Amino acid sequence: MKFFIPFRKKSPWILHYNAGSCNGCDIEILAALGPKFDLERFGVINTGNPKQSDIFLVTGPVTYRSRERLVELYSQIPEPKVVIAVGSCTTTGGVFRGMYNVEDGIDRYIPVDVYVPGCASTPQLIIDAIVKALDILEAKSKEIEKPFKLFGAIETIGNKLSRLNMAKKVELHEKN
Amino acid sequence: MIWVWIALAPILGGLVYGGERVLRARMQRRLGPPFLQPFYDMFKLLDKRTLIVHAPHALLAVAHFFALWFSVAAIFLGWNLLYIVFLHLIAQMLLILAGYSVRSAYSHLGANRELLMLVAYEPILILVAVGLYLVSGSFEITGMIQKGNYLAQLPLLFAALLMIVPIKVKKSPFDVGEAHQEIVGGVEIEYSGVFYEFLYMSRFLEYLFIYSFVFIFGGESVWLGAVLVAGVFLLVNLVDNATARVRTPQMIKIIYMAAMPLAVLNLVWILL
Repeated sequence: MKFFIPFRKKSPWILHYNAGSCNGCDIEILAALGPKFDLERFGVINTGNPKQSDIFLVTGPVTYRSRERLVELYSQIPEPKVVIAVGSCTTTGGVFRGMYNVEDGIDRYIPVDVYVPGCASTPQLIIDAIVKALDILEAKSKEIEKPFKLFGAIETIGNKLSRLNMAKKVELHEKN
Repeated sequence: MIWVWIALAPILGGLVYGGERVLRARMQRRLGPPFLQPFYDMFKLLDKRTLIVHAPHALLAVAHFFALWFSVAAIFLGWNLLYIVFLHLIAQMLLILAGYSVRSAYSHLGANRELLMLVAYEPILILVAVGLYLVSGSFEITGMIQKGNYLAQLPLLFAALLMIVPIKVKKSPFDVGEAHQEIVGGVEIEYSGVFYEFLYMSRFLEYLFIYSFVFIFGGESVWLGAVLVAGVFLLVNLVDNATARVRTPQMIKIIYMAAMPLAVLNLVWILL
């Protein structure tokens, strides 16, 4: 309904996931949420629960171990949702680019809406990114968004859509 | 007129919750969210896609909300206080059942903790009702608020009630049931969208429920009641900002070793 759409902008709840980051960007995210930069003035709550979140903040190049979790978390966030890649590693792979145990950035796996540069990116940049993401969130529809890789299937059980198998597990021989 | 207030109870609780978030932010010297933030959250949750684990799980949240609303309505109508405490117990049981009805480990942990919280605060609530009865001679709230000066006769019981307010509104040091950093909200973990909203609104009703117990201690003077509620509200938020979470067994130990003797001592004193 049109009446509800402006309220998306007013209460973005975030989910923060560390996909093998060095913790630099995570500390900056927590600093942005803390009393000094005070992200809560935009209505942000760090829920830590994918089912209640709107914004997915990811840090780190995607290590092989974190691929399944990344896609699983992404597919558990109900639409409308926005993904923000925080930090150089998450956007391009950064200093880890081309290494044997990482994917170069999360956009190989899930669609990204806002990229935040910086190693580590600053709280100001993260706040800017979230404010930018709010405009994207408002423009989005409620279509189901799919990950690029490890996408299983959205089945219809009865007359309801089931996301139970939406995120696939990594094949055993691909693991390391 | 009273029916209008009952219908508006969740909105009233939402205003209290919004005010509290601003107050907590100001205590930490930051700006904080807008005053109407809980309502923005509610409208946003209405528009989200909803993921349901299974139908009874989702319906138990709705049932919890309405049972809680009913007990708050009973307070507004001035019914029997003991009856209201047990009505509230039914609402909590529905929530605990919801927690156990899914396979998520965090949900089970949350339900366990919710049960232990019930074990901690329920005796105190009943003792408060009994204490108010012993002084006023009536279990009905309408009868209770016609007599004055409970505070002079039941100071220790009031202190015991003060200790369980943080459990009920899920504030530090007794916020084990929610504990976002360790069990990610406990029983509310598997809810999303519209059904999470019912749990979100039932939190507003919890505020009205427990603070109306504080209000009854004001007796016939509405002003004393209002001052007590405002004072307890400030104190609970101050303690919330200043302390860390205790573990669940420690919480029960603190309540049973500090609040319970205070309450019993006060009752014995009244009876003698």
